[in-house]
Amino acid sequence: MTQDAGHTASVILQGRITAHTAAPIWKAALDTLARNPTRPVIVDASRLEYVDDVGIALIFDLIRRDRPQGAQIKIHELAPNLATLVQAYDPKDFVQPIRSRPRIGIFEHLGRATAQQVAYARRMLGFLARCAVGLAQAFRRRGVIRWSEVFDVATEAGANAVPIVVLVGFLMGVIIAFEIGLVAQQFGAVIYVVNGVGVAMLRELGALMTAIVFAGRSGAAFAAQIGTQKVNEEVNAISTFGLDPIDFLVLPRLLASMLVVPLLSVLADIVGVFGGAVVMLTFDISFLQFYQQLLGAITAGDFLLGIFKGAVFGLTIAAVGCERGLGTGAGAISVGLSTTSTVVTSIVLIVVIDGFFAVVTS
Amino acid sequence: MTLPPTGSESATVTPPALSVRDLRMGYGTRVLLDNASFDVQRGEIVVILGGSGCGKSSLMKNIIGLYQPMAGDILIAGRSIVKARGQEKAQLQRKLGVMYQSGALFGSLNVLENVRFPLDQFTELSLADKNLTARMLLHQVEMAYAEALMPGELSGGMLKRAGIARAMALGCDILALDEPSAGLDPITAANLDRTILSLRKNLGFTFVVVTHELQSIFTIADRAIMLDPVSRSIIARGKPAELRDHSTDPRVRQFFNREPDRRKQTGTR
Repeated sequence: MTQDAGHTASVILQGRITAHTAAPIWKAALDTLARNPTRPVIVDASRLEYVDDVGIALIFDLIRRDRPQGAQIKIHELAPNLATLVQAYDPKDFVQPIRSRPRIGIFEHLGRATAQQVAYARRMLGFLARCAVGLAQAFRRRGVIRWSEVFDVATEAGANAVPIVVLVGFLMGVIIAFEIGLVAQQFGAVIYVVNGVGVAMLRELGALMTAIVFAGRSGAAFAAQIGTQKVNEEVNAISTFGLDPIDFLVLPRLLASMLVVPLLSVLADIVGVFGGAVVMLTFDISFLQFYQQLLGAITAGDFLLGIFKGAVFGLTIAAVGCERGLGTGAGAISVGLSTTSTVVTSIVLIVVIDGFFAVVTS
Repeated sequence: MTLPPTGSESATVTPPALSVRDLRMGYGTRVLLDNASFDVQRGEIVVILGGSGCGKSSLMKNIIGLYQPMAGDILIAGRSIVKARGQEKAQLQRKLGVMYQSGALFGSLNVLENVRFPLDQFTELSLADKNLTARMLLHQVEMAYAEALMPGELSGGMLKRAGIARAMALGCDILALDEPSAGLDPITAANLDRTILSLRKNLGFTFVVVTHELQSIFTIADRAIMLDPVSRSIIARGKPAELRDHSTDPRVRQFFNREPDRRKQTGTR
C-alpha cells in the first residue's frame, strides 16, 4: 500500500509478505519510488505480520536504492531480527548485472561445429586404433577378454532383439514384394519380383535394417550404460585398478556386436524373403515356384556380402556407442546427449558405409 | 517469521510443524522402521540419526511425501501428507523445502537459475525481483560467486549449498536436509551449521536434518531422534549432549562416543 502525504511519500508494508503474495506489493512499492524521485519516502514496516526470504528481499530492494540527497528512503519500525537480516547484505554485492548466457552468431556456431566434428573424427580414429590394439592383444593373450561379459551383451543386444528384427525384416520383405509386384504385374514379369526381393534383402536391406534397429536399441544402450558409469566415476575406478576401460568395457561390446549383428541379419534375410513369398501367393506364385526362382536369382556371394556388412555395421555401432559413452561429460544431460549422438552418428555412418560397399561390389 | 514474537497462548493452539504418528515404513515387505512417533515444533531443529542403513533417508522421503508409508500418518502443520492426493498433496509438499544428498540441481540450468526455478514456477514476481531474491539466497549459503556456473562445474559441497538455497526459495515451513554436511570440509561444514542456526533464528524456519556428523549434531540440534536398524525402532530421543552423557542404552552411548563394535575387534594372531 502506498500513500502520499504532503512532502513525503510512504510505502506501508503490512500483513504477510511471502513468495506467493509479494509480487503486487513489490511492484506497487517500486512504482511509488519511481513516482517520487525527489521526495523522501518512508517505508512503514510496523504492521508486518510475517515475511519470508522474498519479503526480506523486497525490504532490502527498497532500502538499497541510491537516491539523491533529500529523497532518501527511511524504514520505520522494522522488527530488530528483520533489520539484522536485511543489514547482513551489502548493496554493493548486488549491483553487478546478471551474466546472461553468451549468444553466438551463425558463423561462430558453424566454426565451432566444424571444429567439433574434426576433433570428433580424430578422437574416433584414435579410439578405433586403441580398440584394434586391444583386440590384437586380446587374441594373443588369454584372459584379456571377459567372455562371460561378451555373451551377456550378446544375449541382451542379440537374443532379446530377435522379435523386433523378425517383425521389421518380415514387413520389409512384404513391402518390397508388394510394391515391385504391382508394377511388375503390368508387364507380366511378376516372377522376377522374386529376384528383386532376394537380392534386396540379402545384399542390402537385411543388414541395413538390422543395423538401424541395433543402433537405436543397443548402440544407444551402450552409450547410456558407459556414460552413466563415467558420470558415477566407475570408469575412473576401473582405471585406478590398473585395468584398461577399453579392455574392460569396450572390447566385450565390440565383439558381441560383431557377432550378433550378422546373425540378426541372417534372421532378417530369412523372414524378409519369407514375407516376400507370402505376398507372392497373392500374385499366384506358389512357394515352390518362389523357391526355384530364388535359387537362380541369388548367389552365395550376395548372402556373404550381407553377413560381412552386418559385422562391419555391428563394429561401427558398438564403437560409436562406446566412444560416446566414454566421452560423456558430467551430469544427466551429457548422458542424454551421448545417447542421441550415438544413434544419429551410427545411422549416418551405416548409410555411408553401405554406399561404399555398393560402389565397391558393383 | 512472525512479528512480533508469538506469545505462548498462540503457540499452544497451533499444531506441530511436523507430526509422525505410529509410522511403519520400508520397501516391499521389508520393514525398516515400525511404530515410530515424534513431533517437530515450529522453529525447532531436529536431527534424525543412526548408523548407515537404518532408514534415515527413507524416513525423510516418507516425510516429504515421496514414498507412501506402510501404516501410520505424517502430518504437516496438522494436515496429513499420507492421505493427501493431487493438488492437496502438491500444496503440502510446497510447504517443505528439501535438499537432497547430492543437491539434485537441474543440470541444464546454472546455479542462479536453479535457485530461481521455484520462484519462476510459483510466483508472479518480476525477473529482476526473482534474480535479487535468488542472489540473496545464494549469499546466505556463501555461493554468490558461483551463480553463473553450471551444476556440472560444482564440487559436492557447493552442490549441497546451492541445493539448500533452492529449497529455501519459496519460504517453506519446514526445511528437510538430507546429509547436509557429509563430505564437506570442516570450515564449509561449520559455515553451513551457522547458516542453519541463523535461518532458524532470523526466519523461524523449522529443520529436519538427517545426518550422522557428530560435530554438526552437537552444534545445531535442539533434539535428536535415533533410529536402530536391528530393532527397527526409535531407540533414543532428546538433547544430543544429554544422550551422549546420560543415556542408559549402550548403542546410543557407542554412537555418540564414536566407539567401534566390540565383536569386530580381533585378537593378535
